[in-house]
Amino acid sequence: MNSLDTLPKKKILSLFMTCGFPTLNHSKKIFNEMLSHQPDIIEFGLPFSDPMADGPIIQEANKLALRSKLSTQQSLDLIKYLSKYKNNTSFVIMCYLNTVRKFGLNKFIKNIKNFVDGIIIVDLPFEEEGAIKKSLSKNNIHLIKLISPMTDKKRSQKLLKNSKGFIYYISATGITGSNKLDYKEINRNVKSIKKMSSVPVLVGFGIKSKKDVIDISKKTNADGVIIGSALIQKYFDLKMDFNRYLKSLKKFIKEVKV
Amino acid sequence: MKTYKQPSTVGRFGDFGGMYVSETLMPLLLNLDKSYKKIQKDKKFKKELNDLFKNYVGRPSSLHYAKNLSKYINGPKVYFKRDELNHTGAHKINNCLGQILLAKKMGKTRIIAETGAGQHGVATATVCALFSLPCYIYMGSKDIERQKPNVFRMKLLGATIIPVESGSKSLKDAMNEALRDWIKNVRDTFYIIGSTAGPHPYPKMVRDFQSVIGKEAREQILKVEKKLPDYLIACVGGGSNAMGLFYPFLNDKKVKIIGVEAAGRGAKTEETAATMTSGTPGILHGSYSYVLQDSDGQIKEAHSISAGLDYPGVGPEHSYLKDIKRVKYFGITDKEALEAFQTCSKLEGIIPALEPSHALAYLIKAFKNKHKNKVVILNLCGRGDKDLFTAAKAIGFDADE
Ligand SMILES: Cc1ncc(COP(=O)(O)O)c(C=O)c1O
Repeated sequence: MNSLDTLPKKKILSLFMTCGFPTLNHSKKIFNEMLSHQPDIIEFGLPFSDPMADGPIIQEANKLALRSKLSTQQSLDLIKYLSKYKNNTSFVIMCYLNTVRKFGLNKFIKNIKNFVDGIIIVDLPFEEEGAIKKSLSKNNIHLIKLISPMTDKKRSQKLLKNSKGFIYYISATGITGSNKLDYKEINRNVKSIKKMSSVPVLVGFGIKSKKDVIDISKKTNADGVIIGSALIQKYFDLKMDFNRYLKSLKKFIKEVKV
Repeated sequence: MKTYKQPSTVGRFGDFGGMYVSETLMPLLLNLDKSYKKIQKDKKFKKELNDLFKNYVGRPSSLHYAKNLSKYINGPKVYFKRDELNHTGAHKINNCLGQILLAKKMGKTRIIAETGAGQHGVATATVCALFSLPCYIYMGSKDIERQKPNVFRMKLLGATIIPVESGSKSLKDAMNEALRDWIKNVRDTFYIIGSTAGPHPYPKMVRDFQSVIGKEAREQILKVEKKLPDYLIACVGGGSNAMGLFYPFLNDKKVKIIGVEAAGRGAKTEETAATMTSGTPGILHGSYSYVLQDSDGQIKEAHSISAGLDYPGVGPEHSYLKDIKRVKYFGITDKEALEAFQTCSKLEGIIPALEPSHALAYLIKAFKNKHKNKVVILNLCGRGDKDLFTAAKAIGFDADE
C-alpha cells in the first residue's frame, strides 16, 4: 500500500518544510503542527549546502538547519518518528542527489521504507534516474516527476510514462519562492499533462496565499497545490520569534486548507 | 593503443560528468548540446572564430623558452605557453568567444556568467561589449574585495556585477546564483560557464574551445624541438586551461602530464582547494566529479589565495584522467605559489597570475636538479596584474612606503 495511490481527486494540499529548521527540536514542533491539520501530503526537505534550484527563503532554511549540524540520519530519524502520527497523510522526501548518494542508496531506502511514500530528487533528471528508480520502485517508493514549462510535449511523454504518485508541475520558470503565476499557461500545460497521465497534477513554486490556492483551483484544472517558501517565510517576517511563528503557521494552514 | 574518445554522447567521462540539474534546465541543456553539435560542423562558424582568435585575441600565443628559469631549476628545458599575452590577460577569452558566437546563433539576447578571479568575468564582459549583448556577472563578495582591478574592468566594459553573499561568498556560490538566474530566465538567457565544469555539454564544449592552446603548443614545440615535450604542466581550478593544453596530447602516451591544484594552507588542512588530492566523488553544479565534501555530502568551502582556483569542485574530465592515471595531480600551497610568483617575475620578466604560479611552484619544486635533457611545456595561462594587491598584502609589501 502506498497512500499516494489513493490521493483525493481534487484540491490536494501538499505542504513543504525543511527538516531541522530552524533547529531539530523546533522542527519537530513545526511538523507536529502541520500533521495536526492532516494535509494530504507533507514534503520533507533534506537540507543541502548548495540548493541550486531553491530561492533565498529555502536557502536560508537549509543554512539554519545545517548550522545546527543536522545530519542526514537525524533528518530521516525525525521523519520516522513523525510517521507514528501519519494517519492518512502521505510522506514525501524532497532532496538533492548528493545527499542520497553519499548516504548510500540502499541504506537510504532501508531508513525510509514503509513510511515514506515518495521522493523528489530535484537534480535527478529522467536521463540519469535508471538504477535509482528501480530500487525505489522495488520498495514501493514512488519517484515523483517534475515537469516545467520548458518541458515540451515529446519530452513530457517520455517522462510521464509509468509515472506514479503525483506529478509536480513547476508553475513558474524559476527557483522555489518565485512569484508571477500565469494561470493561462498553467492551465494549458496541466491540461496537456493530464492527457498523457492519469496521476494527479499538483502545482508548485510561487503559491503564497489562500487567494492563490483558490485561483489555481478555479482557473486551472490542476488537482492541487504545493506550498513551501510561504510557510517558511513567516518565520523571518516574525523576526524569528518561534512561538508567534507556530501560531501564525496554524492560522495559515487553516486558511489554505480550502 | 586505444585512441581517446571522451565524453560519451550523454556527457560521461567514464563514470564522471553527466547532467544533474532540475527539469527546468534539462530542455535547455539538451538544446544547447544539439546546437553545439551543429555548429561544430559549420565552416562559417569555424572561420569566424579563427578570425577572432587571430585578430582580436592575438593568437597564436607564443611559446617562449624560459632560459633563466630553466637555468635556475637546473633540470629540463622549460617552455611557457604564453596565453597570458592574450587580449584580457588570460586563456578565458578563448572559451568566451566560442560560446558567444554560439549564443548569437541560438538567438539568445542576454548573457550571464560566474567569476572567481574576475578573469572569466572580464572575458565575458569583453565579448559582450564586442557583440553588443547585455552582460550580468555573478561574483562572490569576497572575490570582489580581492580582485578589485577586474571589478572595475568589468564595469568599464559595461557589465552589471551582481555580488553574491551566500555561502563562502566565492566562486562556488557565484555559480549557484548564476544557475538560479538561468532557471529564472530560461527563454532569453545564455549562460557562459567559464571552466570545464558544470553539466554536459559544458565540460566538453569548454575543453574544445580551449584546446586551441594545446594544438598550437604541439605545432610550436615540434618546430623548435623537433619532438614532442616530455612533460606538460598546468594549474587546475575548474580545469579549462589545463584541458586546453592537455587534450591534443592525450593520445601521445610518452608525454607525461601533470595538473597542479591549489592546496591553500595544506592539502591535509581544512583550508584547501585541492579537490582531487583531498576530495571524494560527488555531485556539484550538475556534474559528478571529485568534490570537497563532508561525510553527509555537504559541500565544503574551499580555500586558496588564488581566487581562480578557490573552488571545491573540478571538471569531470580531470576526475576521469586521474582515475585512469593518464594525468597526475599534485597540490601546491599558497606560500609556495607566492614564492614562485616572485621567482618567475624576477627571472623571466613575466609577472604571472597566482593561478599559474601554482604550476610554476610545482615545476620548481619537483624538477629542481632533475630531468635534465627533458622538455617541459608549462601553461602560463594568465598575467598577474589582477593579483598585485593580493600578492603585495601577502608578501608584506607596502606600496605607500
Ligand atoms: C589565469 C587563470 N588561470 C587559471 C584559472 C582557473 O581556471 P581553469 O582551471 O578553468 O583554467 C583562472 C580562473 O579564473 C584564471 O584566471
